[in-house]
Amino acid sequence: MKIIQQSHAGTLESGDVLIRIQPIDSHQVEIELESVVEKQFGDAIRRLIHDTLHKLSIEGVRVIVEDKGALDCVIRARVQAALIRATGTQLLDLNWGAL
Amino acid sequence: MNEEYIFCCVLKTEIMRWQQIANFLQQNNLNIDTDIEQFIVAFDEQQQLVACGGIAGRVLKCIAIEPHLRGQGLALRLLTTLLNQAFSLHRYELFIYTKPENEAMFTECGFHLLATVNGQVILLENSATRLKRYCQRLAQQRQDGRRIGGIVMNANPFTLGHRYLVQQACKECDWVHLFVVQENASEFPYEDRLDLIKAGVADLKNLTIHPGSDYLISRATFPSYFLKNQKIINHCHMALDLQLFRHDIAPALGINRRYVGTEPMCEVTAQYNREMAYWLTTAEVRAPQIELHEIERRQQAAQPISACRVRDLLAKKGPEAVKALVPESTYRYLWQHYAMSQPLVSSLAG
Amino acid sequence: MSKLRRSMLFVPGANAAMLSNSFIYSPDALMFDLEDSVAITEKDTARLLVFHALQMPLYKNVEKVVRVNPIDSPYGKLDVEAMVRAGVDVIRLPKTDSAEDILEMERHILQVERKCGRAEGSTRMMAAIESAQGVINAPEIAKSSRRLIGIALGAEDYVRDIRTERSPDGIELMFARCSILQAARAAGIAAFDTVYSNANNEEGFIHEAEHIKQLGFDGKSLINPRQIELLHNVFAPTRKEVGNARLIIEAAENASRQGLGVVSLNGKMIDAPIIERARWVLQRAEASGIRQ
Repeated sequence: MKIIQQSHAGTLESGDVLIRIQPIDSHQVEIELESVVEKQFGDAIRRLIHDTLHKLSIEGVRVIVEDKGALDCVIRARVQAALIRATGTQLLDLNWGAL
Repeated sequence: MNEEYIFCCVLKTEIMRWQQIANFLQQNNLNIDTDIEQFIVAFDEQQQLVACGGIAGRVLKCIAIEPHLRGQGLALRLLTTLLNQAFSLHRYELFIYTKPENEAMFTECGFHLLATVNGQVILLENSATRLKRYCQRLAQQRQDGRRIGGIVMNANPFTLGHRYLVQQACKECDWVHLFVVQENASEFPYEDRLDLIKAGVADLKNLTIHPGSDYLISRATFPSYFLKNQKIINHCHMALDLQLFRHDIAPALGINRRYVGTEPMCEVTAQYNREMAYWLTTAEVRAPQIELHEIERRQQAAQPISACRVRDLLAKKGPEAVKALVPESTYRYLWQHYAMSQPLVSSLAG
Repeated sequence: MSKLRRSMLFVPGANAAMLSNSFIYSPDALMFDLEDSVAITEKDTARLLVFHALQMPLYKNVEKVVRVNPIDSPYGKLDVEAMVRAGVDVIRLPKTDSAEDILEMERHILQVERKCGRAEGSTRMMAAIESAQGVINAPEIAKSSRRLIGIALGAEDYVRDIRTERSPDGIELMFARCSILQAARAAGIAAFDTVYSNANNEEGFIHEAEHIKQLGFDGKSLINPRQIELLHNVFAPTRKEVGNARLIIEAAENASRQGLGVVSLNGKMIDAPIIERARWVLQRAEASGIRQ
């Protein structure tokens, strides 16, 4: 997937997460995380996001995360939704196995 | 959520709704800033307006919630909707000016404090790192030397007065960093001002010109909706702008002197210089002190040369009248644009 | 005995918190919605949320229904693809007007099942009838597919279609309810009633639930978890019904043990449908106890 624009997905409500994706110049993945459960789950959340991006072979993005205590499946869903939006397409031929 | 609220977007063209919002803001002791393009509002089940938030470019303003509904999660929903609206307009890098008591509410929504004026206003942006990253990029253009000068310039348009200021600074310093304000409300568009500046100082070697950034706070878009009068507004604007300069921008480049021209004609700028002296040295700001160097305005025909004066003459008498006040490059530009656009001139006269 | 589907709790697909927490309730089925409760700008994100929620281990043991967007909308096809792949139990079609709607949906489901290697036919369907046309075509709709487990009434859109409003006594829904019920029974599938939208009015809800139970409906859609218990109680058999059912089952077992071909109780012949019904009553009693 080619990330061509900034995008976002999610909300600030309890149990949810607000994800913003920005394309950046390097090949890195930068994660900026603000979480209400930073102490207990901060690292796990970062690993989860790296994993989600890795499965879709994404690099060169900054992921800004505002977490209000979302479950793993919600975080995955929001990150994937933001990524798809960032490609600026409908992605009708999605690789479902990578989700 | 027990209460059902309906959120909608209200454009400036919806006159009746806009008035409804203005009334709501009035009830909350707030005015409505004129540069707001659209509002997100919330209606309750009785069709009453209970919350609103405005978008003006990349600044979120006039955010108000019905007092008895505060602390119920309505603020969060309003802000989420407001953010979504801004994002859908592809505006992702956002700023908020608000009263200090609202800090917690916005921090919860991913905003981070940039600067404070006690009891009056705070400035926040929706990133923990954007200012830092900007300063890191600036730092890559650091230069060696004991005397590093900084100038912040609007140059509307670039005159021989501006030229003189930059020239003096370059004489006295090992290096000078010149920042151009990206205020879109100027009579001369930013790109043109930048070009004229570059042309006007092309021969000066120890100079770096920095394009405008979000962190030079524009006076034109500075909010006034919750500040009592013009004096306080100006004070707050300067305080925030100078805090960012002293605390973040200057240290990145090692700037230890700030150069300004004395300002005998525009009172606002004169006031600015006075306040600047305070903010550049006060212990209130935890950052190295910066010396303020005021350079006497260059004169022509016994009168100081300033952009004010040039615009004034241009409007009344055309480019010919300002030939002695501007460099060749600016003069050529004025002829091109004066000939082309009469409306430009009449806006200057007005 | 067919699966109990008395209560179907409605969960808006765009609401992350509700999707994460609904496992704590015990309705007979959970219905995740991608259609009317999801804003247009959130159709894509809700689809992914539900796609992942369906695969949560916490939801393994509850029946999962998803209301997708109409197939001819910009979202329907992707909805179906995502949900079938995620292992949804039942796909609920909104606004079903004719048997052809069912067949078209079925074709898509089959396509996806084949693409992703899911057992063909394993994805069941439920049709929501929300218009006058749909009500008229209910008999054909109910018979149109082997995947169909039931048909439901969607009252909000229906009353708009017939140009009236909902009232507490629901007289405006009388014809639609009866038609859907007849059609369902004739086709041997279940009939489901519509949502009672005033989440806080318990009395009103119970009144409506008793009414549709009396009409013969198998279950109802719910928007408030508090309604689950109330509904199950309405559908619970009374002590008398349970007592009678036990007698019938005992009579059937006795006859079977004695090798008799005919079961009789109290001088009357008890044939298979009656025994079947008695078993169903006991099943309900087991699920929700005796009516309080």
